[in-house]
Amino acid sequence: MPSAIELRGLTKTFGATVAVRDLDLTVPAGALYGVIGPNGAGKTTTIRMILSILLPDRGELNVLGRKSALEAKDRIGYLPEERGLYKKMKVGAFLAYMAQLKGDTGGDLKQRVRGWLDRVGLLDTEQKRCEELSKGMQQKVQLLAAIIHKPDLIILDEPFSGLDPVNQRLMRDLVRGEHDRGATILFSTHIMLHAEQLCDHIVMIHRGNKVLDDSMAGIRAKFDPRSLLFEPFVPDADVSALRSVPGVAQVKRDGASWELALAAGADPATVIQRVAAAVPPSRIEVRRPTLDDVFVSIVAADAEGDDAAALRAAVRESAHGENGGRS
Amino acid sequence: MKKLLLIAQREFMATVATKAFAFGILGMPLLIGLLIYLTPRLMKEQAPKVTGDICIIDATGQLTEGLRAYLKPEEIAKRREASSRRMQEAMPTAVKAMADRNPVSKAAMDQALQKALGDVPHLNIVPITSAADLEAIKAPLKDVPDKDNPGQRIAVIVVHPDAVVRDAGKEDFGTYDLYVRGKLDDRVIDEITSAMRDTLIGARVRSSGLDRAQIEAITHIERVATREVTASGENTSNRAMNMMMPMAFMGLLLMSTMMSGGYLLTTTVEEKTNRVVEVLLSAVSPMELMVGKILGQLVVGLLVLGIYMGLGLMALVSFTAMGMLDPWLIVYLFVFYLIAYVTVGAMMAAIGSAVNEMREAQGLMMPITLTIMIPWMLWLPISRDPNSVFATTLSFIPPVGNFVMMLRLATPTPPPWWEAILGMVAGCLGAYAALWFAAKIFRIGLLMYGKPPSFAVLIKWARQA
Repeated sequence: MPSAIELRGLTKTFGATVAVRDLDLTVPAGALYGVIGPNGAGKTTTIRMILSILLPDRGELNVLGRKSALEAKDRIGYLPEERGLYKKMKVGAFLAYMAQLKGDTGGDLKQRVRGWLDRVGLLDTEQKRCEELSKGMQQKVQLLAAIIHKPDLIILDEPFSGLDPVNQRLMRDLVRGEHDRGATILFSTHIMLHAEQLCDHIVMIHRGNKVLDDSMAGIRAKFDPRSLLFEPFVPDADVSALRSVPGVAQVKRDGASWELALAAGADPATVIQRVAAAVPPSRIEVRRPTLDDVFVSIVAADAEGDDAAALRAAVRESAHGENGGRS
Repeated sequence: MKKLLLIAQREFMATVATKAFAFGILGMPLLIGLLIYLTPRLMKEQAPKVTGDICIIDATGQLTEGLRAYLKPEEIAKRREASSRRMQEAMPTAVKAMADRNPVSKAAMDQALQKALGDVPHLNIVPITSAADLEAIKAPLKDVPDKDNPGQRIAVIVVHPDAVVRDAGKEDFGTYDLYVRGKLDDRVIDEITSAMRDTLIGARVRSSGLDRAQIEAITHIERVATREVTASGENTSNRAMNMMMPMAFMGLLLMSTMMSGGYLLTTTVEEKTNRVVEVLLSAVSPMELMVGKILGQLVVGLLVLGIYMGLGLMALVSFTAMGMLDPWLIVYLFVFYLIAYVTVGAMMAAIGSAVNEMREAQGLMMPITLTIMIPWMLWLPISRDPNSVFATTLSFIPPVGNFVMMLRLATPTPPPWWEAILGMVAGCLGAYAALWFAAKIFRIGLLMYGKPPSFAVLIKWARQA
């Protein structure tokens, strides 16, 4: 499969700070890639270099078969993290202008603008000034501006930040729709959950270094926590019996649930049956690795003690706080 | 190229299609134009017809008849007609021909003249022999003006006894006191004082045994117009216009350059503040964005220049000074505008890209604004001596050179054409350097947020990029 993006040894420094260090990355055409990492990890700098908005200090890149994204700008759609609109411009005119800047001068442009606005429930705003829209509406218009010219490559930098769950779902549907159309999509987020829900491949960046580059299936296999999530049918039930179930190495409270670590070589299916027989469950399942966990397990290797705990807390807080829970 | 034009078109429309532009740029010249059109008409408006009595207490006994004769309605009309004719004669041939060719305007002028003559004041001179009860004589002046009462008292003149013949041992003649009704039209007062002056002089000359006609002939010297003798012939010179023309041309150049440069700065800062700039950079290169914006504002400046130039030409036609204008100056103005604007505009774009808000731009703009204002501050010495070493040198140093050269070219003693061309070449080099510098700053500055950079930092960016 030809690659839409290919980066080799890409490095960018700002003064004494190395924002991105020796980054290698290949994004196949038609893939849906997520770039994750905490704030300041180097995601936006990477994206800006891919788009030739920033020039790398070192390294090579190839975007849609070109040495620079400048040569393929019209085939790329970009939603930057620092996004905005012309406040005084009318919504319809803004979208048409952005499409024209991307070389889309089709005669039916006005109709397509109306069609897209209709699709996101903003048809009545076509003649309104951008400044009259709510933040959520503006964000939808901004995404439309990135995809209206049917690009081959769509790069979205933190596309869900600041959106309520309903609009997050709408944005996800739009992104999936573009992916189904055949567009290659690369998006960055510091909310791991968004990447989990949308991507089939994850690239994780931490302090300018790529620390993970794998498919979701690969990540799940590699970072399998080998534990069960257990919730007793009677909330205050005595779960001490679980400690003696063969195949259970450790029983640990995890909020309202219990985490049962599997012994080496134990078969999860067999252990589940034994656990259910020992204490009636309201819920029992094999725990899957979340990207939060993966991220923490990778990054915590560098941090110790209190630092690692603080990191875990911060990652969970950002995942649940900003996202408003799983949607 | 198409993207450049798209950006330029949006930039132009975003600037021009605003109320602020309409009021600020179009409103002001319209107002000036309206004033230019209306002022002569308002000034031609005649005073309302005044009718009334003027009481004169003439202790000399020599002035009443002279005053009566001078203030006869037909005499006033005759004087006004003569004055009007003199004005018409003073009008340049081109305008007179234009007025004659245009039957409407000629008819309108004749009609206005007749109207003026028809509205002369009707002043009745009433001699009073004794000033014993002056207060009683003045009392009717306090009456409320009544149009239907032609016999209302409007003025009282009290002539001093020594107004015509000096008292023995005195060097000066006596004079007269004038009392008038409240809010009496000043043009009527002028008529009365002129009448008194003329009558008094006549009486004094007569009493001295002199011939007034002879004295007037001796003391009258025709006013002459200065004629400039040049290689191309003789021209009537107009000193005021000679001074005004360079200032007007440089002012136009300065205004249009600074105005469109200012708009460019504002829209760049806005794009950065609105965070729309990164979206744009995903569609066009920083250079394309900058050049597109500069092009858009260049057209805005041309529009402003066109409007003000048009008004200036209208004013020249209106004041019949069109002959003073060398058409080449208009060509020079547009050429130097293009060069000066690109230079200043590039700097403004660079500053706009480097700051986060307009307030931060002020500090960076100050050196540029001050530099460009130098020719404005020095316009008088440069226009008086446009070919001095100082003026000549300054006119080759960008960016002030563009303005200084325009100033020099608009003087009555412009530099030779090759100096103008050399000035253009120097200006173009300056514009190229400004574009080069701005392109580097623009690329880095657009995505930089936070502390606004100093000039030193801008130079560092330019060297880094």
